[in-house]
Amino acid sequence: MPDILEKVMDAVDVETYLVCKDEEEAERLSVELMEKLGFQDISIVFIQHQGPGARVRVRGYIYKPGDKYSWLFDQRK
Amino acid sequence: MKKKVLLAPLDPVHDIGLKMIKRGLEQNGHDTLLMPPDYSQEEIIKAIVDNDVDVVLISRTLGYGVAEILGKFIDLAEAAGIRDKVKIGIGGMAIRPELAAELGFDAGFGPGTTVEEAVAFVEGREYVPSESGIKQNKKDITQGYDYSFRNKRIEKLLDTIVDGILDYTSNKTSTAILRAELRRQILDSTDESEKQKLRQEYARYCDDVVKSFYEAGKYREKTRPLTKDEVKALRGYVDDVNFRMNPIKLQHTDKNPAVFIQYGTGCPFMDIAHIKSCEAWGADGVVHFDPSWGARTEGFLEGYITHEEDGSIITYENLKSIKESLAPYTLWQVRAHRGLNTPETVLLAGKIGADLTKINIAYGSLSGGTDPARLTVDAVAAIKYAAEFGMPFDVVTNEELSGVPAFKAFAGMLIVSKLGLRLGGKPILQPLFCYSPEVMINGQMVDNYVDFNAAKIYCLRNIVNAPIWCGAPIGFLTQTEDRVQSSMMTALHASLASSLGVDAISIASSDEAFSKGPITAASRIDTLRATQASFRFFGHADITPTENAKKWAAEMEEGIEKVLEAVAKKGNFVDALYQGLLGSREDGAYPGRAGRNTVISKS
Repeated sequence: MPDILEKVMDAVDVETYLVCKDEEEAERLSVELMEKLGFQDISIVFIQHQGPGARVRVRGYIYKPGDKYSWLFDQRK
Repeated sequence: MKKKVLLAPLDPVHDIGLKMIKRGLEQNGHDTLLMPPDYSQEEIIKAIVDNDVDVVLISRTLGYGVAEILGKFIDLAEAAGIRDKVKIGIGGMAIRPELAAELGFDAGFGPGTTVEEAVAFVEGREYVPSESGIKQNKKDITQGYDYSFRNKRIEKLLDTIVDGILDYTSNKTSTAILRAELRRQILDSTDESEKQKLRQEYARYCDDVVKSFYEAGKYREKTRPLTKDEVKALRGYVDDVNFRMNPIKLQHTDKNPAVFIQYGTGCPFMDIAHIKSCEAWGADGVVHFDPSWGARTEGFLEGYITHEEDGSIITYENLKSIKESLAPYTLWQVRAHRGLNTPETVLLAGKIGADLTKINIAYGSLSGGTDPARLTVDAVAAIKYAAEFGMPFDVVTNEELSGVPAFKAFAGMLIVSKLGLRLGGKPILQPLFCYSPEVMINGQMVDNYVDFNAAKIYCLRNIVNAPIWCGAPIGFLTQTEDRVQSSMMTALHASLASSLGVDAISIASSDEAFSKGPITAASRIDTLRATQASFRFFGHADITPTENAKKWAAEMEEGIEKVLEAVAKKGNFVDALYQGLLGSREDGAYPGRAGRNTVISKS
């Protein structure tokens, strides 16, 4: 994992507007987008298709509760 | 001492900041002279000399060539012989304090400077932020309430029912009560061998999963102990964060309620990280959510334990680490309103120093899954602990979410509140601000979300002079997965609560409707920001409900009275719960089965 992502408290949300024909395509594109960005634990938080495209909010979890959080250890560095 | 102050924009247009400072200076008794925009530096210097001023405040908004222009101004001031006689400050969007000092100004005020800071500079005193802008003290939600009943008929019915509850519970106990007594002895003992014996006895009253922890050191699935390194790192993290805390204040006026957030990520350390973030963004209080399985398991574990599912496990160590991380002004509530460990939860919360707890027999036994008889017996013991530790407790009407109409849920809330008062406690009424099944079916929110929520507050105020804390979270079932819509719904409900003059609210994150993963810190900040903006927007202005609110409030009060009459007539509160008088199967309420037939007769 790149160091910068270790500074994320829990997750990265990507919000954008995808040009697509329906919600199904938007879901597929959202997941592809996050995978391309290197996220592994992906959740679609919000997706709504209207006309030209879809408003999406996709989440890539870096840490989930119960994990070991790097940011907890590097405060005094 | 009164000062003569010249304010001059070194810009082609006026800086609004100078006008605001002029007003602030005049309010503090100083004479001011505001020059028009677009005057040359030489003209400003001449005005300083001609008017014999004590202080000059220059503003500069444009960044282009700022260092040269300001450097020249200081040179001109020195050449005119005024530099040593007149204090010169510079402010504006283009200014940074370091630049001002470098150029020889007496002070530099960057973006975000307050009028009070500028006034302090003029008066030659150190700037101390006003108390209204910083958090200092915990709010006492119960302050100013005497719990006098305006509806005497309802008070009389409640007294009759409470007499029955106290009579029913007087010769009964439970394993939960016995465990709480043992836990107290464990915590109070300084002898490790005695503690071990007490733990063995404690384990006898626990379910197998907890028993195997004490007897064989086994952890429940999806839980693990936090390591020593993690515990040590947490302390460093909290110390570092506390050092740089400068929290925002959410309230814009003194009528805005205290704002609570709810945490329970599963991991106490992630909880603490979220709590510290929320404190920084203005949360006044935090509410501990435990796992749903914890409420249906007899007994508590020990140690620092994390959990991969929703709800953070209650142990003395987990709660203690959370308490120790809190800012001194943060209110802390530990919920004990359902489940099989209610007395011990309140005991632990009290021992560790929680400010508030949560107890409601009606909700816990009708929608929370605990047997009515068992929870009634346990709740009386829990309320006694709450009273002993001076912890007010809210009585939340979450059974509304199962479909129980508000008037029935409120009848249960009032019974438990009156029971609390009788036992020396300080109850807080917690009606839901929600889009409940009742209104979905009956249509009270077809037009707006205002009237029915307002009716609840009017109704309760008509009955009793008691604190009100709207929950939990406000706007429940109005939020969607879209964070803008979700934050907006939370903020509007917050301002409705404020408009109705309630004492506190619990807010959700913008992830409220998202159920596929843990809530994030960023989504918590969304709703805190939205709530702050909404408080700012409305100020002292009110939201005006339609005539329906008062009509529905009267109907609710009438309904409550009828329910209480029926419960009083039944003669036994526990039987009333089993038989659906405070929420029936048809409504969507089912008497819980956890802990059924476990009440122990003292005789």
